[in-house]
This record gives sequence, C-alpha cells and structure tokens, in this order.
Amino acid sequence: MTAMTMLFSIQAPSGTVLEFLVLFTVILLGPVVFNRLGLPGLIGLVIGGFLIGPHGVDLIGAGNQTVPELGKLGLLYLMFVAGLELDLRVLQEYRRAAGTFGLIGFVVPFSLGLCIGFVLGWSLPATCLLGALLSSHTLIVYPTIRDAGLGQNPAIASAVGATVLTDTLALIVLAVVAGTQTGSGSVYLILLEIALGLAVLMFVALAALPRVVDLALRRWGSDRVARYVVIIVALLSMAALAEVFEIEGIVGAFFAGLALNRLVPNEGASMERIEFFGAAVFIPVFLVSIGLLLDPSVMFTGHTLGLAALMIAAALGGKGVACWLAGPLFGFSGLERLGMYVLTIPQAAATLAVSLIGFEIGVFGTSVVNAVLVLILFSILAAAFLAQQVVERLPAHDGARPLGSRVLIVTSSPTGPPDATVRIATLLARPDGGHSDLLIIRSHADPPIESMALKAVEKRILRHGFDGRVRTAVATFDDAVSESMHTDASLVIVDEPTFATVPGRVPVLVLEDGAGEEDVFRVIADGEVDERVVEEIRGRLTGSDRWTIPRLRRGRVGV
Amino acid sequence: MKAFALATMLAVGALGLAACGGQGAAGAKFEPANPGTLTVVTAFVPAPGFWEGRPPTKGFEAGLADALAHRFGLKRVLVLQQPFASIIRGKLGGADLALSQLTPTKAREQYVDFTTPYLTAPPGILARLDVRARDVHGLKALHWVVSRTSTLTPILMDTIRPDADPVETVDRTQALKVLRAGRADALLLDLPVALALARSEPERFHVLGQISGGEGLAAALPKGSHNREIVDSAIRGLTANGTIGKLTSRWLGKSTGDVPLILTER
Repeated sequence: MTAMTMLFSIQAPSGTVLEFLVLFTVILLGPVVFNRLGLPGLIGLVIGGFLIGPHGVDLIGAGNQTVPELGKLGLLYLMFVAGLELDLRVLQEYRRAAGTFGLIGFVVPFSLGLCIGFVLGWSLPATCLLGALLSSHTLIVYPTIRDAGLGQNPAIASAVGATVLTDTLALIVLAVVAGTQTGSGSVYLILLEIALGLAVLMFVALAALPRVVDLALRRWGSDRVARYVVIIVALLSMAALAEVFEIEGIVGAFFAGLALNRLVPNEGASMERIEFFGAAVFIPVFLVSIGLLLDPSVMFTGHTLGLAALMIAAALGGKGVACWLAGPLFGFSGLERLGMYVLTIPQAAATLAVSLIGFEIGVFGTSVVNAVLVLILFSILAAAFLAQQVVERLPAHDGARPLGSRVLIVTSSPTGPPDATVRIATLLARPDGGHSDLLIIRSHADPPIESMALKAVEKRILRHGFDGRVRTAVATFDDAVSESMHTDASLVIVDEPTFATVPGRVPVLVLEDGAGEEDVFRVIADGEVDERVVEEIRGRLTGSDRWTIPRLRRGRVGV
Repeated sequence: MKAFALATMLAVGALGLAACGGQGAAGAKFEPANPGTLTVVTAFVPAPGFWEGRPPTKGFEAGLADALAHRFGLKRVLVLQQPFASIIRGKLGGADLALSQLTPTKAREQYVDFTTPYLTAPPGILARLDVRARDVHGLKALHWVVSRTSTLTPILMDTIRPDADPVETVDRTQALKVLRAGRADALLLDLPVALALARSEPERFHVLGQISGGEGLAAALPKGSHNREIVDSAIRGLTANGTIGKLTSRWLGKSTGDVPLILTER
C-alpha cells in the first residue's frame, strides 16, 4: 500500500530545476553537435534555444523569466569580455590606420543601414539602430589569424585596433536611441543626460576604475575567488552607472572591459577564469535566450529573408567598401585588405546586443531579430571560409614582439621573488596587455617545494598585480633562461644579482642591489637589443609605485 | 582621437534626427480594421481597475488601448464587448485586438494569437477582509470558491490542495458574488485582477498574497493577424518607456512585486 502510494506521488519534473536542466543540456550538446557538423558552436546554442523555446517543444515557455533574466547577465558579460579582449596596445601603435579604418568601417555600413531603413519606411530610431547593428563587428576569426603569425601584420593590427572605435560608436548610437525611446521628458534633456552619462562613463573607465580595481586587487587579490569577484563587481558597477544616466547597461559593461583591459591580461590566469565562466555559463545562456526568440514561422518568410539579404549586403558590402577605401591610404596590399575584411565582417557580440536591446524597447520586431540571426550565421560562416584563404596566402609577419607580452620571473628562492620584483614584472607587462609567469628553480639536491608552500607564494605575489602561473623546475639559472628563449617569453627577469650569461634574442633583466640611493638594473641581451630597451624599461618603471620600488631609476646594458 | 571625435559627431547628428523621430517599430506596420481607429474588444465592463466608467474610458486596459492607438498614429479607440467565452474562441467581433485580462494558454492559442504579456500575472489570493493566512497550511484551511472557466482552478487543486471541496461557479462574476456573500473565504485570480478588485472594494477584500506560477496577461489578436508583430513591439516599447508601469501604479495600486509570496509545496 505504501509502495503504491509512493508510486502515485511520483510526479513529472517541473519548475526551475527542470528549466535549468534543459538549459544546461542545450549548453552542453548544442556546440558539440554543431561543431561536428563543421558549424560554429554559438549557432548550436541559438538553435538549441529555439528547440526548447515557445516556438519549439515549449519546455521554456513564452512567459519564462528565469532564462531571459540570466541571459541579460550573459549579455553584460559578453560585452564586458568584448571590451576586455580588445588589444589596446595595437590601437595605440597603429592609431592612425586604426582610427581611419575604424571611422570608415563605421560610417559606410552605418550609412547603408540608414538607407535601408529609409527605403523600408522604418522609424528614425529603428533606422539608426539598424545602422549601428550593421557597423559593429566581432573579432571571431582573430585567433585563427593570430595563430597563423599574422597578428603583427600592420593591416591586421589596424583592423583589430579599429574594432575599439567601431564598436564604441555603435554602442553610443545604441545608448542614444535606447535612451530617447525609454526616457521620459524632453528629448533635448534626455540627449544632454546621455551625453553627460557617456562623459562620466569614459572618465570613470579611463581614470578611476583601473586605479580602484588595481587597489582592490592588491588588497584582496591574494585569493583567486576574490579577484574574480572584484572584476565582476567592477563590471556590474559600470553597468549600473550607465543605467543611472538612462544608458543601456551593456555600454557600461563594454567600457568596464576597456577600463580593465590592461589589468586583466589576455593570457593571464584571471582572464582564463573570466573566459571559463563566460564560456560555460553566462554567454551560452544569453545565446540560448536569443534562440527563444527564433520563430521559424517568422524567419522563413519572404519578408524576413529579404530583410536578411539586405542586411547581409549592407554589412558585408559596407565592410568591403571600407577595406577597399582605407587600404590604399596606408599602402596595404589586396591580400592584406582581404585580411582586414575577414576580421571585420563577423557580426556577433555587439550585433546581438544591439538587436536584442532594440527588440526589448520595441524598436525592432520579431522579423528583424530573426533576420539578424540569419545575418550572424552568414557572416560567421563567410568569415571562417575566407580566413582560411587569408591564412594560406598571406605570408606570416615576423614583427617585433612587445616587450611586456609575456614576462618570466626566474628565482631560486623557495619562498618566491621579492615583492618589488613581482611588481616590476607587472609594471613592465601591463602597458602591452601582457602577463607574467613565475618559475622557481631548484637543484637536484634540494627537496621539492610542497604544494602548500607554492600556494603561499602565489597568494603573496597575487597581491602585487601578478596574474600568471607559478611552476617549479629542477634547473640552473642558465638552463632556465636558456629554455625560456625557446618558449614565448618576451622578457626574463632573473632574481639573481650576479647573473651574467648572454642568453640570446630575449632580453634578460637583472635587478641589482644599489650601493647608494638608487637600485640599478642590468639588461643582458645579444646585439638586437640595445639602449632602447633600457629606456623602455626605465620609462615604464619611472614614476610608478614609488612605495614599492623606491629607487629603481638607473639602468644600463650589461652586454 | 580626431577620427573618434568626427565619427561621434556624425553619429550624434544622425541620432539627433532619430531622437525627434516617431516611436514605431521596424519590420511591420499596423493595419486597423476601421481606418483611423483602434478597435478593442473586452469581456468585462466594468472591470474594476481595468475598464471603468461609462463609456469605459478609464482603467489599466483602457489606458493601454489609448497608448497603443497613439503609438500606431490612430486617433480613436472604439471599445466593443463580447462574452469571455467567445473571445477565447477567437470571436473578436471584428476588433483589432482583445484586452480582457487574458492569460495565454495552449488551448486558447488555437483560436487567437497572443502578444507578449503586458503584466506579469502570478496567481493572487483575493480574500474577504477578515480572512488571514500566512502559509500554505493556512491556505488549505480556507473555504475556496473557483470558476469553471478559470485557468487557475487546476493550480489551486494541485498546489494548495484545499482541505474542503471548493464552491464551484460558472465564471468570475459568480465567484465574486459567492465571496461577497461570505459563502467562501478566498478566490484565486490573476494577481493584477485581484489587486484591482481589492483596490475597488477595500471595505470587502484584500490580497492575502501570491503563489508562484502563472505567465501574464496579454492582448489577443485574431488568429494569423498581420498586426501581431507591431502590437508585440508596441507592448515591449510601452513596458520599456514606463507607460505600463505608470498605468499599473495608477489603476492597480501596487506592483505585483509588492505582494508577499506564499510558498507552496511545488
């Protein structure tokens, strides 16, 4: 009887737990299935969202709030990561070409978007938002291009730098359109409020936030969880600050990414965590929530497909015109212009953000969102195909690596290097968006360093802006430095004042105890590295962190 | 930097125009059944908080109809009345849309197209003023009245599981009569409807709380209507620009988020 009662009390799963189960099953299987088909994983997530959504099998109903709300957080995260991953050093180095290309790359597709909107009789806000949507782009194929050794090619670097400009402008357009559509009061007051808000956001992003986050990381950064949370708090603070001025939170999130760009190096451990949580949870949830809007009865209509065709023509054509206009100005070859084109046609992060916000504020209808999904799919597939052509045909560019792209500290102390050395490594790496790693060496006779001791070292040095990996090896200084020449280190800091071996192409920085008022450093390298490196190092260290490295002012080339 | 400034000026110039532009959505155009007029059908007139006055020009849904007409550039709103059972069977009497505190369900979607919800509508407990209950055990002990056509009746039976069989009525109007007469303690309604009734009869009713579940109240359009996309966009736009929030505070008194949630077994 009891067994029968129990049997009857068993119920079909329902509620939030089932929704999460369905959601994460799609996050797991969507990319796997689509990658096997040779299609981008993100398309799998969008299609998965459709399948479980109200237009599919309806496991996540139209009135569901959980997934869209989580998706909003994912959208903030996506835009934050987009800002964080941009290479600001490249923008600085190629500012003229990047600025010009960024401007043309924004104006041409934006103008084409305006034309389409006017021809179709859309309202002005919708028309402007369409222009913004088409003018932005996402560097989806950049890893493929960079891994092929083309990252230092001036045309490629200019296209990468231009992304900062085009995406910022697209988001400014979004901020103004969304603000005027959702704000109450006079249009001029709203515009004034938004202009003020953008000025405040830029000031905070450029001046205040990096300093505050740096201080917070130095205060609480010894704990990796706290580091991550500090970064998330910074992201949400900027999003909330944007909303204070009636600007969409994603604009604040993007600025937060730009603000923390140098504090969170692309190849550092913090970025690894940000990418991990982004890739595992936040961004997939956002893409699935977009899929919930996908409606085949709307998408596969002549109206929507026609709209998608217009958008594809404007976005891909506009970026093509921009490349072919900007390329000759800087002497880029046809193949290099193709490289620029490949980098700037994929529409993903900012495009999705603009279209979703446009949808939420009622400026875009379902047909526009569905057409945008077609545009995204087409642009990513076209870019992936063309990227292979570029990689095969454009010769690798062997440009000089930035000094601070990967700094390796080598020490023989089992308790790690002094704090000042770690801080120096951070200050040298940060301007290039690089990171530092630590190698603790020991001899065969020394006992292995216990993991608890290593964690203690890591905890201490994390408070000095260190954002890399700590490892140990049985080696001498000479071996360790010599081996680092074969890896991708851009600068080696040796925590041994007497070190004097000539290593090779990568400069070695040796910190010495100063006898007088000033500590000194030596740079050892072969003929390719000269006084300019010493000047560069001195420039990066001078005026910073006087309390940490009080007297490091003088340097010389050792060999 | 110069390029950035130039591009910003260009963008802002275009946006200055955009800001002065209309509020229509892209991708669709509203086609009214009667030229220059938004024709709306509803079942309950008067419906406290939703359709008030004679003619019914006041209330949440009346205000929403006005806002929609303004957004579509229509000068007039014409209100028709049809029985609730006809509306949910797709008989809108030639109206462009129905605004009648409708909850979208799969069964109803066979006859009408629903828009995105304009109000979240979890189940709300409308009770006589002297009735109190703080948890699900208190709710079980109440004498309930239910309407045969309500989508909330199964929720009451599944999640609260009253100790005594509820009084069954044909529709909401009859259920309210039973409650007013004191022959039952409580009635489960869409929370915005419960809030509006409590606001209009504060000497009789109050809202005990809400339970989780439910979807929302949405407009219904004739099945296959070309206007669905633009009405959908307009409702999202009115939500985003605060119009619906203002109508809620004015006509329903409280936001649904201000009503305490009573946890149930599921």
